[in-house]
Amino acid sequence: MTRATFETMGTVVSLDGPESPALLDAVRAVFDAADRRFSLYRPDSELRRIADGSLELLDASAELREVYATALGWRGETGGAFTPHRPDGTVDLNGIVKAWAMAEAGRALGDGDWCLNVGGDVLVSGAAGSGAPWVVGIVDPADRAGLLTGLPLVGGRRAAATSGSAERGDHVWTRGREAAEFAQVTVLADDIVTADVLATAIVSGGSATLDDLTARFDIDALTVARSGELRATPGIRELVTR
Amino acid sequence: MRRRAAVASVIASAGVLIAGFQIGSAVTAGRTSSTTGTGTTSGGSASNSGTSGGTSSGSTGTTGSSVPAKDGTFTGATEQTPFGPMQVAAVISGGKITDVKVLQKTNQGGRSVQISNQADPMLRSEVLQAQSANVSTIGGATYTSEGYLMSLQAALDQAGFTG
Repeated sequence: MTRATFETMGTVVSLDGPESPALLDAVRAVFDAADRRFSLYRPDSELRRIADGSLELLDASAELREVYATALGWRGETGGAFTPHRPDGTVDLNGIVKAWAMAEAGRALGDGDWCLNVGGDVLVSGAAGSGAPWVVGIVDPADRAGLLTGLPLVGGRRAAATSGSAERGDHVWTRGREAAEFAQVTVLADDIVTADVLATAIVSGGSATLDDLTARFDIDALTVARSGELRATPGIRELVTR
Repeated sequence: MRRRAAVASVIASAGVLIAGFQIGSAVTAGRTSSTTGTGTTSGGSASNSGTSGGTSSGSTGTTGSSVPAKDGTFTGATEQTPFGPMQVAAVISGGKITDVKVLQKTNQGGRSVQISNQADPMLRSEVLQAQSANVSTIGGATYTSEGYLMSLQAALDQAGFTG
């Protein structure tokens, strides 16, 4: 098992896995392609050309339309708490592209033992070593040098995504423009897109959305309110007390 | 897309079934104990913080009648709910419901359904217990390339730490 890191999409990828330059290149290629296509900061990206009106959405690549359609599906599933649109109407796929690329990279990595961390969101496969589960340390939003807890990814849970309202608030649009209720939301799910989208939706929609989504989706959630109060689903409770 | 059955309905149907156990199977006394079902339902909402939904129902499972419930595991009939077929079993010990198990999955997801997946308040000290676990990677609200340098993940990466 070896660890490699590289920068992409404005953040840093950290990959624990077999020492394989070919696999690392494949993962890097997935993120670089996603960045070229979806970054609103690149003047030549496909999404930027849609934003400035020089490219019609209907003429966009199948890949972009697929990601956009997926994002619209999630908007419906979350009652609008997750949305691929900025308040001004610009299509912004930041909220889903990273997770979507992580899922693609996961498919490139295949089975085996690996852990992919992209800017604090985590997708794993297999074990960390000698059968032990991968354990994700969750940052304490009140003290970012400290950990709140450690969550092992077990029982089909392969993904842990964390959204916050303090950092990179640019992709979490709070409904009604009031201050977000949660400082940080971590969601565990079997796939990274579900985990990431729903963590973002809960930050955006607050406790009503938390209750709705934990009831309807197969996820576990750990939330930190601005007041510091923690809330956890029974699955998280089991993980931290085992 | 997986969904979990709506909490309220599951709790309600579990409550009804548990009332059913107490009337039909566990308690031989008359129907006076049917009010117990209501109490169990509210217990199932797991509004307390210390215990899981399953065990919290135990405190309210005491029958209202003077005849104690028999110990054992009692399985309810399969109920059709808007979320698919549901069947639960109640474990009764010392006259109290100590656990409620969901025996049939709903049609909505592959995982067995918990009675309630609601996120409830938890003490910081409770989650801190897990801090000593051997952490392999750091999860946190998305850090940027600049933020990464200040992050715990960067420290792990620098240490070349692997699992």
